[in-house]
Amino acid sequence: MSQFLQATVYGLLQGCIFGLVAVGFSLVWGVMNVVNLAHGAFVLMGAYMAFELNQAVGLDPFLGVLPAAAAMFAIGYLIQRGLVNLVVNAPIFITLLLTFGLELLLVNGMLIVFTADYRSIPTDYAAHSITLPGEVHVPVGRLIAAALAVALTVGLSWFVRRTRTGMAILATGMDRGAARLMGISARHVYALTFGLAAALAGAAGAAVGSVTTFSPADAGRFTLFSFVAAVLGGLGNTYGALLGGLVLGVFQAWGGQLLPGTLVNAVAFGALVVILAVRPQGLAGRAFYASRVEV
Amino acid sequence: MTDVKTDERTTGTPGTRAGAVRALLRGTPENAGLRQAIGWGIGLLVLIGAFGLQTQLYTGQVRTVSTVFMFVGLAAAWNLIGGYTGYACFGQVGFFGLGAYSTAILMVHAHVSFWLSMAVATVIAALFAALVGWPLLRLKGHYFAVATLGVAEALREVVINLPKLTGGGAGITIPTFGPDAPTPWLGNDGFYVLFLILAAVAVAVGGVVAVSRGGYALRGIHQDEDAAAAMGVNTTRAKTLTFAGSAALTGAIGAAYAFQQTTLFPVRPFDVNITVLMVVMVVLGGSGTVAGPVIGAVAVAYGQEWLRQHITTGHALVLGAVIILAVVFMPQGFVNYASDAARTGRLSLLDNVRRYRL
Repeated sequence: MSQFLQATVYGLLQGCIFGLVAVGFSLVWGVMNVVNLAHGAFVLMGAYMAFELNQAVGLDPFLGVLPAAAAMFAIGYLIQRGLVNLVVNAPIFITLLLTFGLELLLVNGMLIVFTADYRSIPTDYAAHSITLPGEVHVPVGRLIAAALAVALTVGLSWFVRRTRTGMAILATGMDRGAARLMGISARHVYALTFGLAAALAGAAGAAVGSVTTFSPADAGRFTLFSFVAAVLGGLGNTYGALLGGLVLGVFQAWGGQLLPGTLVNAVAFGALVVILAVRPQGLAGRAFYASRVEV
Repeated sequence: MTDVKTDERTTGTPGTRAGAVRALLRGTPENAGLRQAIGWGIGLLVLIGAFGLQTQLYTGQVRTVSTVFMFVGLAAAWNLIGGYTGYACFGQVGFFGLGAYSTAILMVHAHVSFWLSMAVATVIAALFAALVGWPLLRLKGHYFAVATLGVAEALREVVINLPKLTGGGAGITIPTFGPDAPTPWLGNDGFYVLFLILAAVAVAVGGVVAVSRGGYALRGIHQDEDAAAAMGVNTTRAKTLTFAGSAALTGAIGAAYAFQQTTLFPVRPFDVNITVLMVVMVVLGGSGTVAGPVIGAVAVAYGQEWLRQHITTGHALVLGAVIILAVVFMPQGFVNYASDAARTGRLSLLDNVRRYRL
């Protein structure tokens, strides 16, 4: 029983990290209908920024979230404004290929600069754990990362619903033509959205770097997790990614306990396919976004 | 009288040889039959040339060119579902791996000859595609892409977790000589011919689809599925059959790949990068055309090899930059760009950029 509880708690914490990684990915997909295959590379860029800051001036990785997010926002804004906006009206292969090319460029650039070695950002508290009744251990680093995930999701939710800029993002996502008629500059809003997603990815990277090891080769894995979490949660909700991440995390933790080997991955991908076939709008997705989905 | 006028307007200056060539390039309905005949003729010449090329290569080059043929076949197969029908299948490598592992398992555990195994693997890939395609082809756009990606990843995980049958992560080796071998290894030259034939079949299927009634149905689905259904196209049937056909070709190529490699590890035949390469090749060459996948596959496969030999570190970085530039400046692919340029006389790449810009 205690083992099961431990697995559940661990799965929830891991799920929050999945959600944190996926929230920006889901935002870009929902607003622009662009699947950003370079998202995992953005996460790693944030992780390496926090790592370098930690090495250079000893900055705590969870404080490193702020500079990483700010730098990634600028990079994301420029990439969208200068590159992705050029093909945003093209068929989906084109945007997929463009972001894949970007992923190759960024990941291999990081391989050259930082080598393929696995890194982690050491702190003296992240590996400590709080022991709850029932012999359940909660690592402090993961707890902070989970709190960050929830805080950023709530913050993003507030931002898109309560601020003018946020509502402009939502409106452009719903109907770009109408939004432009209302005086919204779609180019700028798209770039803002992409920058925001990159900033969230950078923040996720800094947090991930302090709780696990990372290397440039992990980019694809992060993108895949984002895919699964975004699809499970559904698009059109800022908390959809967190929900999807939590489901994925708990599912993996339970599966790891019950199933032999890595069969849990097979079941996870199988479940993803079944969910797509049965309820493509995801668990919390909105009907509007689902209308893009089915024939 | 009116016929002559139409002729003049659509074919340019009649009577002169240059006018006739230009008319041919423009692709008017009148010369469609001639264009098709020329296309098949060029294809046949390239095929004969490829057989002739074999005598001029040394062993290492034969293997490299075989790999290029493999990718020509894969790209042509993906073009059926991705190019003509417009369904971005990102799990195509699943059928490749399924074909490869079906062949390996049949040859190792059942001692079936390679040729029979390849036939069975082709059928297995087609049936599996029809089975998963029937529910998943209701999805569109990115959702179909993710769902098929999930299928391929799930297949890989299943292969890893069935070690008794597939050898799991430790791999499976097909015996290629001695009394245990169901079929002796074909040799580098044998595989050159095999991959060339498979590629030719895949391209020829694309050629048949391009001009057949079914091909028009697929392009109708690509442009507007509701309209296609309203015109009487059974879209579910058309999509599922195309998906199965595309998977069958991919599975057959996977079978040949398995026997060529003799030892299979789950990572390589289910490598998602193989799918991405197929998409890159088709899109850069020109999706929904017969020659596009061939040109794209040869250019990308050869270019990759060239980069690998000339730039030791960071060849993938250059590949990424090339993909970005190609996608921005030629989003419709080389063949579509060339045929548009021949028709309208506009060569500017900036027109391409303006097309999809926000």
